[in-house]
Amino acid sequence: MGKKKRGHPDVEELLARPWCYYCERDFEDLKLLISHQKAKHFKCDRCGKRLNTAGGLSVHMNQVHKESLDKVENALPNRQGLDIEIFGMEGVPDDIVQQHNQRIITNFYTAQAERHAATGNPPPGQAGGQGPAKKIKIETPEELKKRLADHRAKVAAIKANGGVLPVPVVAPKAQPASVSPVTGQSPAQGASPFPPPQPGFPYPPPVGVPGAFPPPGQPGVVGAYPPVYPPPGATPTPPGAPGGPGFNLPARPTGGALPQRPPYYNNYNGGAVPPPGAYPGGASTVDELVSGAARQGGGAQGDEIDQLIRAAEQGSKPPARAGEDSAGGEKKGKSKDKNMRMVYGDSEISPEEKMALLPRYAVSAA
Amino acid sequence: MAPSTQFEVSQPPSDAISAVIFAPDNTNRLLVSSWDRNVYLYEIAEGTEDATLINKFEHRAPVLDVCFGANGNEAYTASLDCSVKRIDLSTGEQTVLSTHEKPVRCVVYSPQHSMLISASWDHTLHVHNTSAPASTPITISLPGKPHALAASPSKVVVAMTARLVHIYDLPTLATALSSADPASANITPWQQRESSLKFLTRAVACMPNDAGYATSSIEGRVAVEWFEDTAESQARKYAFKCHRQTAPEEEGGGDVVYPVNALTFHPVYGTFASGGGDGTVALWDAEAKRRMRQYQKFPDSVAALAFSNNGKYLAIGVCRGFETDMEDFNSEGRTKVFIRELGETEAKGKGPK
Repeated sequence: MGKKKRGHPDVEELLARPWCYYCERDFEDLKLLISHQKAKHFKCDRCGKRLNTAGGLSVHMNQVHKESLDKVENALPNRQGLDIEIFGMEGVPDDIVQQHNQRIITNFYTAQAERHAATGNPPPGQAGGQGPAKKIKIETPEELKKRLADHRAKVAAIKANGGVLPVPVVAPKAQPASVSPVTGQSPAQGASPFPPPQPGFPYPPPVGVPGAFPPPGQPGVVGAYPPVYPPPGATPTPPGAPGGPGFNLPARPTGGALPQRPPYYNNYNGGAVPPPGAYPGGASTVDELVSGAARQGGGAQGDEIDQLIRAAEQGSKPPARAGEDSAGGEKKGKSKDKNMRMVYGDSEISPEEKMALLPRYAVSAA
Repeated sequence: MAPSTQFEVSQPPSDAISAVIFAPDNTNRLLVSSWDRNVYLYEIAEGTEDATLINKFEHRAPVLDVCFGANGNEAYTASLDCSVKRIDLSTGEQTVLSTHEKPVRCVVYSPQHSMLISASWDHTLHVHNTSAPASTPITISLPGKPHALAASPSKVVVAMTARLVHIYDLPTLATALSSADPASANITPWQQRESSLKFLTRAVACMPNDAGYATSSIEGRVAVEWFEDTAESQARKYAFKCHRQTAPEEEGGGDVVYPVNALTFHPVYGTFASGGGDGTVALWDAEAKRRMRQYQKFPDSVAALAFSNNGKYLAIGVCRGFETDMEDFNSEGRTKVFIRELGETEAKGKGPK
């Protein structure tokens, strides 16, 4: 299964990416950044003209529309000022650059640490054995169920908390108990709660598939497993590796760990590889689930700018999702050339005639 | 460029606005008719940013339209109580000129011919000779219910339901009016047209140079047409979309389309302004087919617009749009009249490109 190696760019590459002063987004190259700025931050909301700088937009608004520009659109709250002339990467104040780089570096190492923690791979420098040894962990269905219940409770708690991750002390502590390491010989044969896999799929698999599973902090992923993907194994997280409550739901590492799977499989399993078809599907779903969960949970970590960005994203995204659903029906409404909604659609009777019928406008007897 | 300023009149009507108009001989005088049964006379104090209420004239029913007569002391009103009235603005004296069978929707005065034309939902036009107020008006029956009326120096344009547009020749009407037996005169429209707009016409305005007119519909569209009935002229007519807003993606995208409630031509430059339910006013160059300006959104729907006779001021009547929530309609506190003082060349078109 030659899955493409997931690239984890090194820190230099990350630092070299051009990024937008106004919204902290980074881009592949400078051209993209500039076109982003013209479209998002320097576009005239009256006529759609795209200017090169905030100053240019301000002059345009003044001259063409006789209006004054007071802030840069779509910018982070503390970056809306017009006093700084930004074009691409030019004009970004030094201290902001420092702050940005610091943030990139911090994020990079955090992500790296999480990746190592999740895969059990030692950091590149310290090649052998120093990291905690990887153990295969087999969970019984009961344990899995417990984890699922834990996760559900947690999700509910998050919801009840208005989408903010509560500072949970319980969940992480509860985990180790439920994830008892078992030796590879006795898989979860009694896994009756699992529905039968696809025809032809060897079930139950001789050994749980290790490696690729989310750390115990994320039991929900297990609960959401597609039945296609039966192995109930999970890797133990090295004790204490993901530090602090903030790291309950690490962002990327689990996704990154997936490609590791095949070698382990071979090691432990002597060739009893599941049919190729079953794998990629399951893996990608898990991938999505994991990254989805990570996105949800990521709110607790990160520095100030991260929070700003996230706040900005949350500000714009949730309504977008809700709206998409509700608008589905409306779209098909009375559209002729395209989706068009007329505020007043009666082509026979004018609004004045309707108003004239209201009792309050009746002719007074004089 | 002189700075353009905008201000609000201090005592606006208490209910929806039906029309605003400036006096023909006095740039600073304007009339506002309202659904609150009153016609308001304001005067802009010279050199200041204020317009004060001079007087108001109460009617028995909401006033649907108002226009000035021969001078700034005379006004004519169209009312829901079916009457067409003349008001002497200095004395406040009201005289009924004629009575329709149904509410009167519009009135328009032709200073060139001293004629007042009123259009009513009873499918008729009344043509009054204002130099002889006692004379009986000519009644012209219409094939549809009129919704908008506008006069140019020599024509009057009536827009009706079912997309009918009739254009009458004013000199012909004047001749008929002065003939021995006006009531029996057989008046036929000078031209009958079908509106270029597919939806209910909302407003009509004539070009001051007597060349053509513009119509607007409830479906965010404005059409510009020429009177001259040659293939060449008719080929020049066009329509365009305006007063629409792109609905945000989350609401399904597409456009929210607002009615274009008001149109008015600039008396000097021949450009025109349109006001829509979206609360915006835009200035258009009919010749160059370009939008020249779009002003900052007003807090509510734009119901009426008027340029002063020298084009110095643009009056903008803003009130709650009555397209929605008709049941509990109440524009109280939301009705405003803005006066925009235009810069020297603000409304000057660039000419055809």
